[in-house]
Amino acid sequence: MKDFTYVLPKDAAEAARAAAAPNCALKGAGTDLVDRMKEGVTRPDTVVNLLTATDLRSPIREENGRIVMGGATTLAEVAESALIRKVAPGFADAAAEAATPQIRNRGTVAGNLCQRPRCWYFRNDTYACSKKGGETCYSIEGENKYHAIFENVTCNIVHPSNLAPILQVLGGTLHVVTANGTDVVASDVAVKDFWVRPEEDISRENILVAGQVVREVSFPIPQGMTGSSYVETREKASFDWALTSCAAALTLDGGKIASASVVLSSVAPTPLQLEAVEKWLVGKAPSDALFREAGTKATDGATPMRDNAYKITLTAVVVRRALSAAAARATGGGK
Amino acid sequence: MGGHAEEGKGSVSRRGFLKSAGVAAAATSLIDDAKKAMEPVGPAPAAAVRGETEIRFKLNGKETVAKVPPSMTLLELLRERLDMTGTKQVCDRGACGACTVHLDGRTVNSCLLLAMDATGRDVTTVEGLAVGDRLHPVQQGFVEEDAMQCGFCTPGMVMSCAALLAKNPAPTRAECAEGISGNICRCGTYLNIFRAMDRASALAKGGK
Ligand SMILES: Cc1cc2nc3c(=O)[nH]c(=O)nc-3n(C[C@H](O)[C@H](O)[C@H](O)COP(=O)(O)OP(=O)(O)OC[C@H]3O[C@@H](n4cnc5c(N)ncnc54)[C@H](O)[C@@H]3O)c2cc1C
Ligand code: SF4
Ligand code: FES
Ligand code: FES
Repeated sequence: MKDFTYVLPKDAAEAARAAAAPNCALKGAGTDLVDRMKEGVTRPDTVVNLLTATDLRSPIREENGRIVMGGATTLAEVAESALIRKVAPGFADAAAEAATPQIRNRGTVAGNLCQRPRCWYFRNDTYACSKKGGETCYSIEGENKYHAIFENVTCNIVHPSNLAPILQVLGGTLHVVTANGTDVVASDVAVKDFWVRPEEDISRENILVAGQVVREVSFPIPQGMTGSSYVETREKASFDWALTSCAAALTLDGGKIASASVVLSSVAPTPLQLEAVEKWLVGKAPSDALFREAGTKATDGATPMRDNAYKITLTAVVVRRALSAAAARATGGGK
Repeated sequence: MGGHAEEGKGSVSRRGFLKSAGVAAAATSLIDDAKKAMEPVGPAPAAAVRGETEIRFKLNGKETVAKVPPSMTLLELLRERLDMTGTKQVCDRGACGACTVHLDGRTVNSCLLLAMDATGRDVTTVEGLAVGDRLHPVQQGFVEEDAMQCGFCTPGMVMSCAALLAKNPAPTRAECAEGISGNICRCGTYLNIFRAMDRASALAKGGK
């Protein structure tokens, strides 16, 4: 690993100012960044350690009808939070199923949302692929078993974050600070508007630019008979990256689905909001048959590559399971 | 923080956000130029270090002082500078668990932890589990149940098992499997490890 200047800011404002420096990387726990630095894929001259910024460590709490937490809250803290388990068990599940106990003990919520893709060509310094400024996407002709089956046009990565789809389903918000010279301004961005598709800018996965730090993350506490869930499939029963994943929230009223939010992940470069499926579900009574059909509908328009057509079946499976779990939690009075 | 209590209030549209971010970035370089011309302005920059830097932390209960460059991992510090080779390096990427140590009582991959991030913290390695000649119940369990073959994964496994036992004195098989899900054993000793955990649990309760 190349040596670097290590900045130890006391808060997000200091971090954002420092991060406006050229060739600078923000670091939460570093479970993604340090990996990329060892591979030589990312070679920063300056690293800003967000773990010393105290406002990024603000506790998980209820505030004005929302659940709010510092951006450096760990995945383990989310998984173990009684408050999150109570109001949004899908969020707790997504954190609990991510990575390994060791990674969850360190990895942060903001770092999880901003982690770079796992495409093996991207992670390998010897491949100068399109995402790294080259001319070719090696996954098109190469090994694409774990790549996208939707929106796979110019870069076929899948979004790697477990928290992304569930936070989007819950209507989450990222509270960002931006350095503007020595001034620092705060702004909010909805999770659903956070992602950047490869066709918009192949070099990045979200809208953050140099000098911006996610200080806090929040979502509104689900109201009424609402249930949320996160379900994934993987190759190994112990830790593994998801092959397909789905987050869902259903609100029931009078035995019918009053509103639905369904987001697929691990199958496209960004989390995918299934608006057509959501619309189709509203007004219908929850049932196994309904959710099975929703699963099939969710695969409409898939464009699998040579080695990943299996993801179509596994997409239908996660959608069905996520909807069933969300409905069960909604009727169970759980959230 | 205020400003995000209500949806919409204080929030910006995606396009607006992208635009203002671009403006902010442009403004930054202008201001940087201006700053060079008439320093000093604005708040003091954040603390920063470069090159060999002294850190202090507790290692197996002992106050420890070491000099490390920011790019050094805790694993490298332990093995290469402090001669603590019990902690193993295998994948060096957070994926195998061989380098597992406890940071303030919780398991972490020391290969992904910058040594500087251990500043002021409590680090326990496999060398720190036994009390004098008395093995930790997990170590005793591993010995009695023959829970290793080549032994390369063992220090990390033992650290994950010890952390699990501290949290959960009588874990089920499923809880054990979850507890060691971040540790890979190429020799496939998992069943013996589960038995070792049962044994450790009994030993920790004072059973014989
Ligand atoms: C073996 C292994 C298995 C894994 N399995 C899974 C899995 O199944 N599911 C899953 O979701 N993840 C998985 N992960 C990824 C892991 O969850 C992430 O690496 C971790 O959550 C990242 O958090 P961090 O604090 O370490 O981020 P860092 O490595 O510190 O940062 C990651 C990125 O986010 C940026 N960043 C960090 N914090 C902020 C902030 N506050 N504001 C702006 N930008 C920021 C950094 O600049 C960097 O680019 C796995 C990782 C490993 C090593
Ligand atoms: S999928 Fe994206 S990251 Fe992977 S090789 Fe293609 S362009 Fe590069
Ligand atoms: S060596 Fe650290 S996890 Fe493999
Ligand atoms: S005993 Fe050989 S790797 Fe586990």
